[in-house]
Amino acid sequence: MPVLEINSISKAYGRIKALDNVSFKIPKGSVFGLLGPNGSGKTTLLSIVLDVLQSDSGRYNWFGESPSHLHRKKIGSLLETPNLYHYLTAVQNLRITQSISGRGNEEDIHAVLEKVNLHERKNSRFSTYSLGMKQRLAIAAALLGNPDVLVLDEPTNGLDPVGIAEIRDLIKELAIDGHTVIMASHLLDEVEKVCDHVAILKHGHLIACGTVEDVLSAEDCLLLSAADQLLLTEKMRAYPGLLRMNTTAEGLECYFAKGASSAEMVNRFCFEQGLVLSQIWVKKKRLEEKFFELTNE
Amino acid sequence: MLSNLIKTEWLKLRNYRAFWLLLAVTAISYPGINGIAYYGYMDSIDARTQSGKLVKMLLGNPFAFPQSFHTTAYLSSFFTFIPAIVVIMLITNEYMFKTHRQNIIDGWEKSTFIAGKFISVVLVTLIVTFFYLAVASVIGTIATADIDQAKMLEKSHYIGLFSLQVFCQLSIAFLLGLLIRKAFIAYGVYIFYSFILENILSGFFRMKSKKWGMDYGHYLPFEISDRLIPLPPFIGRFNEADNKLAIAAIDKHVLYTLVLTAFVWLLSFYIFKKRDL
Repeated sequence: MPVLEINSISKAYGRIKALDNVSFKIPKGSVFGLLGPNGSGKTTLLSIVLDVLQSDSGRYNWFGESPSHLHRKKIGSLLETPNLYHYLTAVQNLRITQSISGRGNEEDIHAVLEKVNLHERKNSRFSTYSLGMKQRLAIAAALLGNPDVLVLDEPTNGLDPVGIAEIRDLIKELAIDGHTVIMASHLLDEVEKVCDHVAILKHGHLIACGTVEDVLSAEDCLLLSAADQLLLTEKMRAYPGLLRMNTTAEGLECYFAKGASSAEMVNRFCFEQGLVLSQIWVKKKRLEEKFFELTNE
Repeated sequence: MLSNLIKTEWLKLRNYRAFWLLLAVTAISYPGINGIAYYGYMDSIDARTQSGKLVKMLLGNPFAFPQSFHTTAYLSSFFTFIPAIVVIMLITNEYMFKTHRQNIIDGWEKSTFIAGKFISVVLVTLIVTFFYLAVASVIGTIATADIDQAKMLEKSHYIGLFSLQVFCQLSIAFLLGLLIRKAFIAYGVYIFYSFILENILSGFFRMKSKKWGMDYGHYLPFEISDRLIPLPPFIGRFNEADNKLAIAAIDKHVLYTLVLTAFVWLLSFYIFKKRDL
């Protein structure tokens, strides 16, 4: 049973469609990355499933049930910015989170503050915190009581490189412990490092969804080099199943439908054409590359 | 559920300095206005002068028991705008810090959030009523030469009327804060409407009352509850006929105030439920 099932959700702000018929499922125990450029609808979607916004149409289920406030109590969430009381200290803020959600106890409050390295400033007012510290406290609030599901919208916002690495490790730890983490981010490198599933939104449309492996490798890519690069390009044009080619400084990038070819087949083809390859390399696409490919007009 | 709600609202308020500071200002303003009026009255009834004797004969002692409950309620009601600022601050702060969203995200229903604010407004009303009661009791004790325990509480129903008036007007302040979301605009609208616009409208309706056969100004949002506490007799006797009508209409205005207050809260629940946060 998926943790979250989204069915045909649409939301418009006037004439602007923030989300258009978006559907996907988030499997239990996954680290699910929600990607998209600014204004693609990531935060709108998370706001809808956390009942902060109402969708115009469509529905969603948490844990296979119609959503209710009781589900939200079980979910640790950080949406957009740290939303905490500026005049209260870290401990006082977390007591409010604890009182509303029922997650954790006084001991847990101190434990999560230790976890996000804020324990020394636990009695300082939120208004005195730096942006990074505010973000850490919001993450601490989401972690309070060790919820099974975490929704983190841009969790590394405002953090320095050390902080980013700590959050990355934290998410990995949570995944190992079997938590489901739903994470919206535009830091593709981070997403690639921690997520096992990904959905990509663009202008409110879902343009890709699945495991990171599946989304990245919808095509196979081979990087080829030969002494005569022009001849190689010419010969490869006739290769059956070739989708496209791209000349780069590293060599000739050749794209094939997934599983339609292999390094061995291409090598044999070139040899039969009288070409000896000096390099043949199965190129693994990076998420960033795929993201730009999918989201560019 | 209710105890958790009270606990959570208390956690929000307990360490909020601005909240306690403004309540302290309210606590000072009530004895302030009543004390000034009382000492002004004492000066004007100076027994050594002929005019003093005349004033005393004309006004009686509006600060002695049981009249003290009415007079102090009337004078204190001029300062309801201070706790109204507190109430506007309580709701607009949630918008400013976006904590209204976080409360929902953390597991409250939207109706629970408004119920929490309802409790806070009740709490502010109780604190303000306590200030009024303390002032009425202290001034009454000072001003009454010979306390008659049987008659002392004759006008104590003004405690209930005062607290209902405060609750109604604070509820309107809350609704303004909920609708406007920006603290300073909400304060401005509250002050402008309650002190200026409603008085202009009230005057307009009074002027037209003979022509229309009715004074619709009595049903303006603040006037509905203002009429719970009519002019104290020492002022009211200058227009005895109107004052008798105002006193006779108190019961009706209790009902109108209850209906208006219920409407304000139902509207608040509805708006918050339907609105994107």
